[in-house]
Amino acid sequence: MTILRARGVVKSYGPTPALRGVTVDVAEGEILAVTGPSGCGKSTLLHCLAGILRPDAGEVSYGEHRLDTWSERMRARLRRTEFGVLFQFGQLVAELTAAENVALPLLLAGTGRREARTAAVGWLDRLGVAELADTRPGEMSGGQQQRCAAARALVTEPRVLFADEPTGALDSRTSEQLLGELVRVVRDQRTTVLLVTHDVQVAAYADREVALRDGAVDASGLGLTAVSGKHVR
Amino acid sequence: MKPTTLLRLALAGSRTDGIRVALTAFSALLATLAILAALTVIAIPEIGNRVNDHYVNPLLDEHGLRGGTAFTLVLLCIPILALAGQCARLGAPARDRRLAGFRLAGATPGQATLVAVAETGVAALLGVAAGLGAYFAARPLLDRPDARGLRPLPTDVLPEPWQIAAVAVALPLLAALTAAIMLRRVVVGPLGVVRRARRDRAPRPWPGALIVLGLAGFAGVVPLARSYEARAQEPPFWLVTLLGAGGAIAATIGVILGTGWISYRMGGLLNRLSHRPAALLAARRLTTDPWQGARTFAALLACVIVGAGAAEMRGYFRILRDLEARAAARGGYEPQRNSFYLSSMNLVDVAIVVAVVIAAAGLIVAVGEGIASRRRTYAALVASGVSRGVLARSILLQALVPIVPSVVLALFVGMRLVGPLTGDEVFNYGESAPFVHPWDTIGAYGALAVGAVLVTVTIGLLFLRGSTAVEELRTG
Amino acid sequence: MSTAHVLLGLLAGGPLHGYELKRSHDQRLPLAKPVAFGQVYATLGRLQRDGLVTTAGQGQDGGPERTSFAITDAGRARLDGWLAEIEPPAPHVTSTLFAKVAVAVLVDGAERARDYLIAQRTAHMDRLRELTSVKTDPASTLGDVIAADFAILHLDADLRWVTNTLERVADLHREVHP
Repeated sequence: MTILRARGVVKSYGPTPALRGVTVDVAEGEILAVTGPSGCGKSTLLHCLAGILRPDAGEVSYGEHRLDTWSERMRARLRRTEFGVLFQFGQLVAELTAAENVALPLLLAGTGRREARTAAVGWLDRLGVAELADTRPGEMSGGQQQRCAAARALVTEPRVLFADEPTGALDSRTSEQLLGELVRVVRDQRTTVLLVTHDVQVAAYADREVALRDGAVDASGLGLTAVSGKHVR
Repeated sequence: MKPTTLLRLALAGSRTDGIRVALTAFSALLATLAILAALTVIAIPEIGNRVNDHYVNPLLDEHGLRGGTAFTLVLLCIPILALAGQCARLGAPARDRRLAGFRLAGATPGQATLVAVAETGVAALLGVAAGLGAYFAARPLLDRPDARGLRPLPTDVLPEPWQIAAVAVALPLLAALTAAIMLRRVVVGPLGVVRRARRDRAPRPWPGALIVLGLAGFAGVVPLARSYEARAQEPPFWLVTLLGAGGAIAATIGVILGTGWISYRMGGLLNRLSHRPAALLAARRLTTDPWQGARTFAALLACVIVGAGAAEMRGYFRILRDLEARAAARGGYEPQRNSFYLSSMNLVDVAIVVAVVIAAAGLIVAVGEGIASRRRTYAALVASGVSRGVLARSILLQALVPIVPSVVLALFVGMRLVGPLTGDEVFNYGESAPFVHPWDTIGAYGALAVGAVLVTVTIGLLFLRGSTAVEELRTG
Repeated sequence: MSTAHVLLGLLAGGPLHGYELKRSHDQRLPLAKPVAFGQVYATLGRLQRDGLVTTAGQGQDGGPERTSFAITDAGRARLDGWLAEIEPPAPHVTSTLFAKVAVAVLVDGAERARDYLIAQRTAHMDRLRELTSVKTDPASTLGDVIAADFAILHLDADLRWVTNTLERVADLHREVHP
């Protein structure tokens, strides 16, 4: 079953086109890698599918909802309740502790401090960084920060996780540890994942790959790699 | 979002945010004091016809002059509010990042704005509370009647309680509202803060039209009054206010906005004339963000306009006094030792100097903030071998190149504003003399303004060393 | 990779039978081609002839399967030498792959090479996914993970080459058919 769908999505930054009509379906529960060289529009596609950016043309649907017609306020609420986002770096609020950062989506939704903290520490524990609960991002290593960011992305138990080069700033060993944990958790939670990466080693954690080139799905067939069907359902 | 969460997020800031909160609170304190002072002056009861015989200073004692005194005190709020505006920008990149972080975590645009607005509101509330405290604490301390029972300050009257309550409620709300309006152009997206492009095109000299319009409007007051006088009528108050206050404000805004155009032109000129690295950096910064100067120097330029006008009035009063003296010498009677108007001008001058000092404080904040927000670029330049001297010179040039012509413009506008009041020929006691511009005072105001910029930028440069430490290049 | 040196290394931990050696080899190097019995004995014979291993005792029922082998001092020295020797950093992209692309462009033009490379990339990616799932499988041993890593990193190198070449072949294609 398709959970996310882009139909002919077009997006430009000023005169520079980033996406020139991209059509992609994301099946519920799959980990889909979006790959391609720098500047191919893969991050823009993720931002459009996550409702962070509104496409200039084309449709973006989440289930039966047409996200491209929604107001920013509604999309923000959807992102808070149904989606999680995990970026390369810098998404943690420097002034808040790890636990507060992870609890933030819950707090913004009106959950009480105590309850939100309990949930946050639980997720920090699942990602193996429970001991950092009261540490600020500036005092953590890059890998630890990304684990906290992952905990924050997952704390609302989202249906879809959007990960944009989540290990882009990490060395290969740290990267592999984070991806291992992340894949384990999302399989448990049956979370759908859209994983944007330029790195084939990272893409190999996905079930399927869509390659972009110059703002379009690569027609060479390179992007149409078959589903390996290996993942546990 | 629960109120406690809002408060926690609003006060989550780091040290710079702490400074911003403190300075916002401080400007709210100053504004509270200025407004309360004005209200106190207004609260002085009317006894007898014109004179109360309560206070040492006729500005407080004479009915006809109190309105002007109160108005001047309220006008002092302008540089204070400008200072508050500068403070709101302090540490803005860090706050913007934090707000973007909130948005990424799922906050709606409204929630992100609310967090920023709550911070300003809380800071202003603290400042107002401190201001009220200072006001009530100072009243008994300053209550020193002299031998004749005259007080130097109206410490024996209080504004109405509802007025005080209104200040306590309105100032924080006003501050919060200002913050909300200032963030209107700022779209806090989850991907970071995007300042909606102000103008893609280069600034145009349209503010010049605003200046001409303002001057013409203000100049219209005198003939208007004369024409009504000829018919033995009072001109309607609203018309005088519109032409007078409206004209002055339009001309002031024109000068401030004109600084954008001046910055842009001077940037272009500097770029053509000099190819030294410091000049290049300064020129490019001026042409890419010509409005920065307008934002930074707004309060100072307003002070310069008022100062130039005041200098002209002082010159005018001095000529009046000289004419009186001449008439007295001819008539063989003793002239008044001190012209009342001249001593009033002393008070106005004090107010202007206070305003310049407040505006200069805002400048320090702005320069420090400008350096802090570009510290990565500066650190990278220093790391690649650009000397700090070059950076310092570029920052100085960036401030001085547009401010000198802007100050000249402001002086000119201030002089032209009061031109119709002074006229070319001054008449008094049947004597007349040509009006002579008091170039020395006007020059002193210009020098004071440029000097204030020079001094504040130099103080601001102290931040440069800390901000260009190569540690600033550290990522993550 | 030399089977002889691997066997020497396995014997460094203590004497082993031929069968134990084979099992140990396949276990320690799970993704390498399994070594054949015959190859184990042939190699042991050569090592014994060169004085690098020696027989360390016979099992009760005798026969070659029950003969234990132990490493000699000369064997240890040889092993140390091999371990200290730096491998020539030869391109791992198997020469076959490279040769095929070169030949394909030559014989059938860019289109053929492209098709081949795309198919090769798909196969590589599939293999990469399999290896990655070995790595993320909690049941995998550390040995499995290390071996999977080894293969993944080499496949990654191959894949980069394939992707770059694909770009270049596509450019070549545009050049040939504007």
